[in-house]
Amino acid sequence: MAELKPHELLNFGEKAIKIAMKKGADEAEAFIAETLSTIVRIERGQIVKNIRKKDQGLGIRAVYNKTVGFSYTNMLSDKSIEETAVEAFRSAKASKPDKDWSGFPKPKKFGTTTGTYDKKLAAISSDELVDVASIMLTEAADYDKRVLAAFGSAETRLSSKAVVNSHGIEAFDEGTSIVCDLSAVAREADEVTPMCTEFNAERVYKIDPKWVGREAAKQAISSLKARKIDSGTFPVIFGQLALFDVLYFTFINAVKADQVQRKQSALEGKIGQKVTSDMITIYDDGLAANGLQTWKFDAEGTPCQKTPIIEKGILRHYLYDCYTAKKDKVESTGNATRSGIASYQSTPVIQATNFTINSGNKSPDDLIEEVENGVIVYGFQGAHSSNPSTGEFSVVATPAWKIEKGEISYAVKGAMLAGTIFDVLSNVSALGNNVRKVEQLVAPWITVKNVRVIGK
Amino acid sequence: MKSELEKIVDSGQKLGAEYVEVRAQNLFKTVITVKDSRVEVVRKGTENGAAIRVLLNGVWGFASTGTLEPKQLIESVTEACKMAKAASLQVKEPAKLADVKAVEAEVRIKRQRDPKEVPIEQKIDFVLANDKTVFDYDKRVKSCTVNYLDVSGTNYFANSDKTYIEQDKLYLYVATVVWAKETDKLTLAHDLVGYTTGFEIFDTETPEIIGRRAAKRTVDLLKAKIPKGGTYPAVIGPQIIGVFAHEAFGHLAEADLTLAGSVLIDKLGKKVGSDIVNIIDDGTMEGAFGSYKYDDEGVPSQKTTLIKNGEIVGLMHNRETAQKYGTKPTGNARAEDFRYEPIIRQRNTYFTRGDHSFEELLEGIKFGFYIKNYRGGQANLDGTFQVGVQEAYEIVDGEVGAPIRNVSFSGNTLETLYKVEAVGKDFELNVGVCGKGQPAFIGAGGPHVRVKEVLLGGGA
Repeated sequence: MAELKPHELLNFGEKAIKIAMKKGADEAEAFIAETLSTIVRIERGQIVKNIRKKDQGLGIRAVYNKTVGFSYTNMLSDKSIEETAVEAFRSAKASKPDKDWSGFPKPKKFGTTTGTYDKKLAAISSDELVDVASIMLTEAADYDKRVLAAFGSAETRLSSKAVVNSHGIEAFDEGTSIVCDLSAVAREADEVTPMCTEFNAERVYKIDPKWVGREAAKQAISSLKARKIDSGTFPVIFGQLALFDVLYFTFINAVKADQVQRKQSALEGKIGQKVTSDMITIYDDGLAANGLQTWKFDAEGTPCQKTPIIEKGILRHYLYDCYTAKKDKVESTGNATRSGIASYQSTPVIQATNFTINSGNKSPDDLIEEVENGVIVYGFQGAHSSNPSTGEFSVVATPAWKIEKGEISYAVKGAMLAGTIFDVLSNVSALGNNVRKVEQLVAPWITVKNVRVIGK
Repeated sequence: MKSELEKIVDSGQKLGAEYVEVRAQNLFKTVITVKDSRVEVVRKGTENGAAIRVLLNGVWGFASTGTLEPKQLIESVTEACKMAKAASLQVKEPAKLADVKAVEAEVRIKRQRDPKEVPIEQKIDFVLANDKTVFDYDKRVKSCTVNYLDVSGTNYFANSDKTYIEQDKLYLYVATVVWAKETDKLTLAHDLVGYTTGFEIFDTETPEIIGRRAAKRTVDLLKAKIPKGGTYPAVIGPQIIGVFAHEAFGHLAEADLTLAGSVLIDKLGKKVGSDIVNIIDDGTMEGAFGSYKYDDEGVPSQKTTLIKNGEIVGLMHNRETAQKYGTKPTGNARAEDFRYEPIIRQRNTYFTRGDHSFEELLEGIKFGFYIKNYRGGQANLDGTFQVGVQEAYEIVDGEVGAPIRNVSFSGNTLETLYKVEAVGKDFELNVGVCGKGQPAFIGAGGPHVRVKEVLLGGGA
């Protein structure tokens, strides 16, 4: 269904580079992307919208005298590609040189990826996606009549991308994904619960909308009759969404080489030192089978790889793109990505791929049973206000439940958690066996002791 | 452009749609990123595209495409109708739209200097001057990132109600982030400015003013300590009261979220706060970051009172929710660009002024906090809000005291509105970028406000 064939994407890139080089660029690189998505949206318990989006474009970096210029366009015609390439070169000439500029990467062999493309997903009809959304709605409504499925969606995406540079990189990859999510609230008398969101995201057509619908509804119902709790220091079980929220805005930033080099990271100079509990091992695995962020190569055409970050509590490596790697005289770890509304608009930035925390051997029930007096948290409000440099956070736990004598006893209202991510990871006391994928994170539930909870 | 868009509207109607709208855009963006005095990148781009939305059998179909070619647009409107049909079998409650008067308008923004015409070298110098001011401020400044963005161009809108609008877009935005370090202590603070005016604004809001403000904020934090968490009286500054107005209250009053079960679902016409609370969402403030003339459904923007003397008197609507409530749309439907469908968004949301001086607000507080500057915030449908704080001070015996760091405060919106004890007579509007599935430029603000108590999440 992709409208552009691999060689067409690559041809656009080659054309752009040729023009920039002819203008006088020392080096040039083109990134070309196309995304086709189909989305069914749910609001207030029913399907209200059906959306089809097509977005494609090209971004070109041209280098002149160690100065980088960038320009992009979302129109893939010969004329606009020429204009874009010329503009990139002009931007380079107008800008200031960077003495540390060390060039675009050279071609290297890519690793193999599995489970990242499903031809059934590439050809899915919007009727089928409507069915996925309906299943979630039915499950949620059947669970309890106090539940309202406030928002939700079912979305598929077919993405292809290509990187071409003047050193000979010519790379193409394509991938699919599907996600269904439901945010439910429950109402009873004057009480409204916070939104309880559940979702299932995969690269291939293997999702469970029934579970998503039921689980969102179940969380909403069990969030009723919420109580305030006293402040104190408790063991806290972090669900994966909660863990992702807080890691994404703190720890993941702290291991990015640009943040380290710019003295913005609390992990600067700590390679080889113990920075978390020895129960923690973390890999960033850009080639993980079925990984949500798995691709053959990164946004600069560097092969994706598996990089050890923490081994039994010891910091082993940072995440690098080409520029920061050359500065530290190491190899890029293939962590350049293009972020933003449309990837082709952006120059590369460092981001984790599948940031994988090792699992333990305890079932979720085991973890809960082990807690005498504590809290289990599924999500956080306000994690984006954390301090990425120091790892300090101060967030509201929603939804969250009190655990008493090894059992979930009641929903917790408006409790805040405060501390630093480094203390959290140092105080891990147990790891679950229930691994799941949430954006860039692959992790189980973890239990952390001595977390500061501000209740009332 | 008019006849091209009208043709698409016609074909949508012929395919059976009750309502058809086409939005087209032709925008230019420049982004300059300077990191630690190094120009990382100068980014220029063109974005053309169209979004087509149809209402067919009471369900929305939407198709977006990054082109303005007539042939592709016809394909897209066909696609949108097909999408709506596929979903319409499941619909229980068909969507309908409130009537609005057809508009034919051309909106041109007055400006002396269109950012598109400003030489790129001059923009780079502007950003570098900001960076230099930051590093010159204090040797404890260790790192600085400045992001400059300008957007200019035109949006085109046509719908089956015979509305046709051409509207200029113009945005300037500068984000300055500063890191400072002293022994083992690392601090971080940011400064955001944004305008819907020409580049001439930077003659008065100079890079030196911006850079100094950002650097001072970060260096001052080095002295800050982590407070003990708990419940305290607080004086909330204009920046934070704006975030509160937008995040904690505003989102609950976006009619789509109200209908989705927010705590305001049955509160229209009812009292939700103390008599001195007044909150307005205003899309008509000249040059403000959240202002525009027409929204992305072609409805004129307006000044909408949400809370008057503590009572909810209005919500923010698009045409669909206005119809459900039997009221008029308020012009709050916004789409970031052609990739997104319009949804209800806030504009410039603020507390109105009262009559207290800053000193009067502090008076009588034995121990509390002056919460001045924010770093993000988030609300939930049940009214639980969280606002991250990057600058705050103790209040001791009615005077502003030592700075504190790493806090956020939280509470329930409706409970907090009743705890508003006094409202200041000053006023300040700040800028922000709100995320509700898609980004939107907004303004938020108000005066200083005293609140009886808030929950502060601090250290042990």
